[in-house]
Amino acid sequence: MKKIAQLLSLALVLMLAFSLTACGKKSLTIWVGTESQEFYQQMVDDYVENYNATHDENFPSEIVVKGVDSGAAAAQFLDDTEAGPDIFTIPHDNLGKLTAGSSSIAAITNQALIAQMEADNPQTFLDVSKSTVDGTTYYFAVPYVSQSLVLYYNSSVLTAEDVQTWEGISAKAIAYSSTVGHEVKAATILGTDGYNNSFLLLSEYYNSSNELTTSVQLYENGVASACYATGDDTIAAMKWGRRYFQLTSGGIDQAGSSGWEEELKDEYSLCLIGGAWNYNAALAALGSNLGIAVLPEFTITNADAYGTIAAGTVYQSGTFTDCKCFVMKKGSDYQAYLEDILIYLSSVSVQEQSFETCANLPAYKNAADEFAAMSADTLAAKLASCEIEMFNYGIAQPFGYVQKYNTWFYSKGAPDLIYAMLKNTDNAYPDDASILSCLQTCETIWKTGAQN
Amino acid sequence: MTKKKKPNVFKKIGKGFKNFYDRFVRGSIYTKISYLIMGFGNLARGQIWKGMIFLVCQVGFVLLMVLCPEINSTPFGYKAFANLITLGDNPGDINTAADNSMLMLLFGVLMIGITFLYLALYVSNTKSSYHNDMLLKEGKKVSNFKEDLHDLTDSKFHLTMMIPAMVGILIFTLLPTIFMILIAFTNYDSLHTGQNLVDWVGFSNFAQIFNGSASEIGTMFFPVLGWTFVWAFIATFSNYFLGIFLGILINKRGIKAKVLWRTIFILTIALPQFITLLAVRKILGNLGPVNTLLVKLGILASPVEFLDQAANEFTARGMVLLINLWIGIPYTMLQTSGILMNIPKDLYEAATVDGATRRQTFWKITFPYILFVTTPYLISSFVGNITSFNIIYLLTGGGPTNPGFKAGETDLLVTWLYKLTIDENEYNMGAVISIMTFIITASITLIFYSRSKAFKQEDAFQ
Repeated sequence: MKKIAQLLSLALVLMLAFSLTACGKKSLTIWVGTESQEFYQQMVDDYVENYNATHDENFPSEIVVKGVDSGAAAAQFLDDTEAGPDIFTIPHDNLGKLTAGSSSIAAITNQALIAQMEADNPQTFLDVSKSTVDGTTYYFAVPYVSQSLVLYYNSSVLTAEDVQTWEGISAKAIAYSSTVGHEVKAATILGTDGYNNSFLLLSEYYNSSNELTTSVQLYENGVASACYATGDDTIAAMKWGRRYFQLTSGGIDQAGSSGWEEELKDEYSLCLIGGAWNYNAALAALGSNLGIAVLPEFTITNADAYGTIAAGTVYQSGTFTDCKCFVMKKGSDYQAYLEDILIYLSSVSVQEQSFETCANLPAYKNAADEFAAMSADTLAAKLASCEIEMFNYGIAQPFGYVQKYNTWFYSKGAPDLIYAMLKNTDNAYPDDASILSCLQTCETIWKTGAQN
Repeated sequence: MTKKKKPNVFKKIGKGFKNFYDRFVRGSIYTKISYLIMGFGNLARGQIWKGMIFLVCQVGFVLLMVLCPEINSTPFGYKAFANLITLGDNPGDINTAADNSMLMLLFGVLMIGITFLYLALYVSNTKSSYHNDMLLKEGKKVSNFKEDLHDLTDSKFHLTMMIPAMVGILIFTLLPTIFMILIAFTNYDSLHTGQNLVDWVGFSNFAQIFNGSASEIGTMFFPVLGWTFVWAFIATFSNYFLGIFLGILINKRGIKAKVLWRTIFILTIALPQFITLLAVRKILGNLGPVNTLLVKLGILASPVEFLDQAANEFTARGMVLLINLWIGIPYTMLQTSGILMNIPKDLYEAATVDGATRRQTFWKITFPYILFVTTPYLISSFVGNITSFNIIYLLTGGGPTNPGFKAGETDLLVTWLYKLTIDENEYNMGAVISIMTFIITASITLIFYSRSKAFKQEDAFQ
């Protein structure tokens, strides 16, 4: 009897403790990328200190910054929006699913924040920070970090001149194969998704006026049906790519099952097409032999010429650019404070400190000219300058104006089809007509979410 | 032997209703009132605590139903029943949240569960009051609270032990299962997460399986199901027979250092499976030691991909089956070793006296004995292989990829289901595949186990 009474008392105490925990007011929570958690915790601590010093009342809550996988944050938030953070970070192409329906995130209404965004960010990032809900277009996201693809290369084998063209890299790789006694790839791509094949899909050619141009359209002006990837220039680029994807030595392909780090380290590949997030691993693989450059040019040969694109036409490899943005939960208990926090976290000074501390490439459009750390003679600064130069050859990956459609995440295998075409898997893409057919299927997928 | 007649469920339910009616008719006025006010029959007989518990439960239930308290703007009570039908009708706007369809579904299921529990308690209240009537009629004394509590540690101790387990099963197994089954009848997919209303769609998700090329599930379900069966069959029987072979080999007279051999094979069980599998993946990588060795020996001209990037599905499938042997054989070997040590020696002696050859002894004594004992293991192993996640996911991730589809060439139903739900947020399709997987595994288990000797002749080898 005594034992039962003790057990009952214990159960009661536990229930009480749980109830008290559940009833307690939640702290204001911010999710950022794991790599930046400490930095942003410091920033918000400074913000709170400054707030308390300049206001009559203290800030109403402590602010907790949690490090998460920013690529998965949106999906995690959507699983349980009520329990989600007040502010969190997303890659901009996740915005579509967050604003679907009546939107799970809050629209930005603070005019000071909007003015700061419009003054500091390139137009391309502003365009992808908006979405339309119930017929009205709002800003939903605040860009604060940007990224694009660059070339990491083995500088003990390749010179800065070699890496200006894919042909130069390929020739060196073929020659190096006989030196080391095994096949050496010109370059490794990180995967077969749309981001990684964008160096080909978004490549631009120099027209007769020596201007870079492309016929590719992806959700142009936010119209779901405005996708076009079957122009002569795209097919010629794919034909060029197909030749290189099928070369064993001197070719381009995704990393083998041992991983791209092993391939770079053991000289089975001379380059990697990657982003800033690969910098540390590339440095670990190549050490002092790591070189960084913008993605190279390539030249169309007779074998690649198609329609209006003649042999000798020069292309510049392209890239999807990407920005990370802060967004706010709709219906947050701290809604009144969130936009002010975002004004601070996305300010130029915090972006500059973020670059210096965490090597986050700022979204601020004048960063290259104004941030002293960017002109330093360091690899991190070189990476930043290459990324910024690549912005000239890239577009911000559209998130799909219909929530489901996206060239990357929600593409229902379109990137796999492009990869299969480049590899000519099972000899299923033997001629120009089959390449055209493959790209037409991809267009349909981007527009409708289905293959037919 | 007479066959025991199984009680008819409908008859039992009918009897329950009849008893419920009889108690009302034959019971005292207190019992009749307890049909309206729970616990009255107990309170009137001085069972204050018991009566109060019944009464508090009734008041609590009525308040819950009428007041409809809200959690995250989603109500319980009678409104939860209504919401279960509509799954919400407020789409929200830029400033206000839409109805949370998933919470409505969850609360609806919870309310059904709470209502059933309340009804069980209600019936128990009438039984308790009627029981008191009967005791008083027989001139006996009704029990007090202390005696009731004592009963819970004595004659009704089974109830004390069972109730927490039942509550656990209800909350952690039954409720999520019902919730998952119901999701299969909704359009809860990547287009309906966040601030989007979810609707009931009947059997249309199930119909997609038979809809051919109209959807991923229609195109890929049967190919993935086919490979799942091939995988489960080969993985189960190859492990089983090779495990038996190894067990017999190690237990053979004349084999030295038996313990050492057993320990070596058991090491693969002792190590966490995911570590072993990731190590194997590394070893078989295009720049891993296996490829390096084969190239250096001149067997391969250049490294080949064995797993997710294999040139064709047969290489990848063959490799995962091969690697699975390493993981699975030690389990059968261990079981077989135990069984072999327990086969009565007199069986072998009798066989020797009768002039049986070694082969005859194996096929007539050893193998039937092993088969009899391990049939339940064989069935559970087959079912386990149908839902085997780790090996496929960690070795190939379902690859080689299948252009245009999430399901790769080595994906089993369960790994495909993971991709559909976690990567693609197609929760409704994931639920459909879960239900289909359950139907398949449950059918196989029932059919084969009920036909096995281990089930029919339970005492035969004792």
